[in-house]
Amino acid sequence: MEPEEIDDFEQQLRLVLEQVPAPPGLKRRVIERRDAQRTARRRRVMWWGRLALTTAVICMLAGGWFWHGIQQRRNGQEARRQVILALRITSRALTQMQLQLAAHNQSVLNRKQDEQE
Amino acid sequence: MATEWQPDFEELVDEHQSMVFSLAMRMTGDRGLAEEIAQDVFLELDSNLRRIESPQHARFWLRRVTISRSADALRRRRVRGISLWVRIEENHAVQAEEQSSPLGARLEQLLQTLPEGQRAALVLRYQEDLTPEEIAAALGAPLATVKSHLQRGLKLLRAKAAHDLKEYVRGA
Repeated sequence: MEPEEIDDFEQQLRLVLEQVPAPPGLKRRVIERRDAQRTARRRRVMWWGRLALTTAVICMLAGGWFWHGIQQRRNGQEARRQVILALRITSRALTQMQLQLAAHNQSVLNRKQDEQE
Repeated sequence: MATEWQPDFEELVDEHQSMVFSLAMRMTGDRGLAEEIAQDVFLELDSNLRRIESPQHARFWLRRVTISRSADALRRRRVRGISLWVRIEENHAVQAEEQSSPLGARLEQLLQTLPEGQRAALVLRYQEDLTPEEIAAALGAPLATVKSHLQRGLKLLRAKAAHDLKEYVRGA
């Protein structure tokens, strides 16, 4: 290059480095990829949503089942406690009755002995 | 209070596709790769659209991300071991056909032989007509570095052009 051309070098560079047009269809391809990404993202979100919902339902069912087991155990213990209490009351009543019968028998025996004498 | 700017993605693609593609192509020297980068940059813009505050911000963001993604692509290509020189020769053959002036095409080829930082600074300076301060902001580099890149890049390109284009003219 001659010296005067080199003086114009920056100007020439500016002309050479003008923006070139984008390839035809670039915008369409970008939009297509964006739509595909959005669809994939939506599917991922839905998949995770379903997974979360299923997990929540399973947790609720497991929790309910566990709670039901605890309740049943509590009810069983309460029933057992009540049966034991009833048995104790019955036992006490029977003991009292036995004592009363023994006392009655004793008084009958005593009366018979008095009559024989 | 100023009215809030509502970015329209498709309008932004329409408006800036040439700029983004040109930047990527001049940074990589590869049309196919440049288109791929341009698509990726616009997709990234779509996911960051809420953060874009104004048309100027969009333009600044696109320049910055395009240069950054182009540098990443070049780095990946170097790591993969593909010879950049072979690719440049191939791509220049394509560009040379597209250029109206053969001297311009050769000058653009020479630009591809510059180091990455200098090339980025020169492309932003002469394609986008940015000031060194704006280039520094776009590249996220200190102003002194940008000025040095511009000065050295221009000097190197001048030297290459003085040698190469003289031969080219004689040969033609």
